[in-house]
Amino acid sequence: MSADKEETGARRARNAQRPAPSVNMEELRELIGLLRENGLAELELENEGFRVRLRRESAASEPASHGAAPPPAPAPAAHAPAPTPAHPGTHLGTQATTAAAQDQDLHIIPSPIVGTFYRSPSPTADPFVKIGSNVGPESVVCIIEAMKLMNEIQAEATGEVVKIYVENGQPVEYGQPLFGIRS
Amino acid sequence: MAFNPRKFKKILIANRGEIACRIIWTCKEMGIKTVAVHSDVDRDSLHVRFADEAACIGPAPSAQSYLNIPAIISTAEIFNVDAIHPGYGFLAESAYFAEICDACNIKFIGPPARVIRLMGDKIEARRVMHEAGLPIVPGSPDAVTSEEEGIKLAREIGYPVIVKASAGGGGRGMRIVRSEQELGKALETASTEAAAAFNDGSVYIEKYIERPRHIEIQVLADEFGECIHLGERECSIQRRHQKLMEEAPSTVLTPEMRKTMGDAAVAACKKLGYSSAGTCEFLLDVNGNFYFMEMNTRIQVEHPVTEMVTLADIVRNQIRIAEGEPLGYTQDDLLIVGHAIECRINAENPETFAPSPGTITAFNLPGGPGVRVDTFVYSGYQVTPFYDSMIAKVIVHARTRELAIARMKRALEAMVIEGIKTTVPLHLKIMDDPRFRAGDIGTDFMEYFLAKNGKKAAAQ
Repeated sequence: MSADKEETGARRARNAQRPAPSVNMEELRELIGLLRENGLAELELENEGFRVRLRRESAASEPASHGAAPPPAPAPAAHAPAPTPAHPGTHLGTQATTAAAQDQDLHIIPSPIVGTFYRSPSPTADPFVKIGSNVGPESVVCIIEAMKLMNEIQAEATGEVVKIYVENGQPVEYGQPLFGIRS
Repeated sequence: MAFNPRKFKKILIANRGEIACRIIWTCKEMGIKTVAVHSDVDRDSLHVRFADEAACIGPAPSAQSYLNIPAIISTAEIFNVDAIHPGYGFLAESAYFAEICDACNIKFIGPPARVIRLMGDKIEARRVMHEAGLPIVPGSPDAVTSEEEGIKLAREIGYPVIVKASAGGGGRGMRIVRSEQELGKALETASTEAAAAFNDGSVYIEKYIERPRHIEIQVLADEFGECIHLGERECSIQRRHQKLMEEAPSTVLTPEMRKTMGDAAVAACKKLGYSSAGTCEFLLDVNGNFYFMEMNTRIQVEHPVTEMVTLADIVRNQIRIAEGEPLGYTQDDLLIVGHAIECRINAENPETFAPSPGTITAFNLPGGPGVRVDTFVYSGYQVTPFYDSMIAKVIVHARTRELAIARMKRALEAMVIEGIKTTVPLHLKIMDDPRFRAGDIGTDFMEYFLAKNGKKAAAQ
């Protein structure tokens, strides 16, 4: 493994813990940036002698935020009575899936891959679509970034965007509802 | 949140089923957080439930989920994991995947990519391990390219011979040939099968050992060149080259033979620059000669029998070694206590071996002294037809082989699985077989056993 390879933000955060002897405002700013960029709700960094924990309230819609301690696992597995055991920890997509389940009258655009959801082609650009936008099958509605590749996602349906289930910069899983379209 | 002084804080498990659960259990004991990945049909699988974090990475077909490298790496980056444990099957022996992990600064829990690649090519593996001192079955050093070449070689070796796929595994692309007349056709069909299964039609010929035992040596090596073995596993009970049942120790290995085979495996692994857990598979003939077949560069399905008799946690050692810790054991520390047996419980018809997917309507796990069950299913779980049919492993440990057989019988009797067919009744019958009970087994055992039971059924 070579250390000089290009690193992602998240990985940089981890590597940053190693050499830094103390808190430094520059690094703290970088961490806050990371929190925003990656749409994380919470970030905890530990190093010899200090610990930083950052939490972002705007992402409060996520129930168990990434990195937070999950509640203890319930009852032993073997005799679990329920056919669909609830996931005790963090499961990408649970929130959006639950929300979309109530919108049965809408056409749902799911994420075709696991990655990070972006509503616009660049941080400064306008979003591809907003609530009320009209889309056709080939309209690009968002970008899902996976392994630094920006994948443009098309609507594959015609209608009006009435729901957006995920926030910009949020990680999404395969099959997770992204948009609700009324045709 | 408990303080975790380990180097690895979080591990992604790039697998499903019982092995994903097995890895989670050890991570929990080590205070390491886990990330599960799953296909959309595996959402209700226990590995998803018991991991700290989880993400759906694709639809049911493995190529789009459990073999989908970009989706797995993307998930690893989202959750910021330190390492990836590949389990067995899927990407466990993909040198390419190991290299990608390295390039992404994520530790691949397994041997170096170079070693995986070398051992993945069966012809090259035999050559290298032979050079490193392991005896091999007489045969062609390279792929056989023409029928004439095959005939010449088979005459030198002497019939019967076996034709095998160079990229093989799981019995595909294999043919036993007893006379020269059969050779041409066998080369052709084996090559066609190999091309279909592995995208590589090259085959080689070697001496066919009649009634051999399949004996394998478990090794553990660290990244500083230390290597030990954990004794052997007897895996002769196979059907179509798929293991059904394994035990440790073998009934035929004397302490001297264990030392000879173990030391040979360790010496070869040291020369190879091996690290992590690995297994050298051997054929043992009736005269006590052993021949290296191949090396599995991963955790194996049957690892629990070794864990039971040695008290080692092999997954824990894989993780420790990947963290860069020294092995910390010497060969003299090896302890082999009692006897362990593992039965693989498959969702299959126990007579026809036809897959039996469906919903499990009732499920009872056996317990009591000396019983371990590794599984990912429960009452209400739907067994899908997308992946392999193994749903559980029942492992028992007792002071002697006889006691272990008695223990396995009562464990299998208490194992209730309703709604689907399983191989539990088959294993119960094997436990009662006089040849099995006498330890008189070889890779031909199932052929004998099925013929015997088929005849009985016809007579009734």
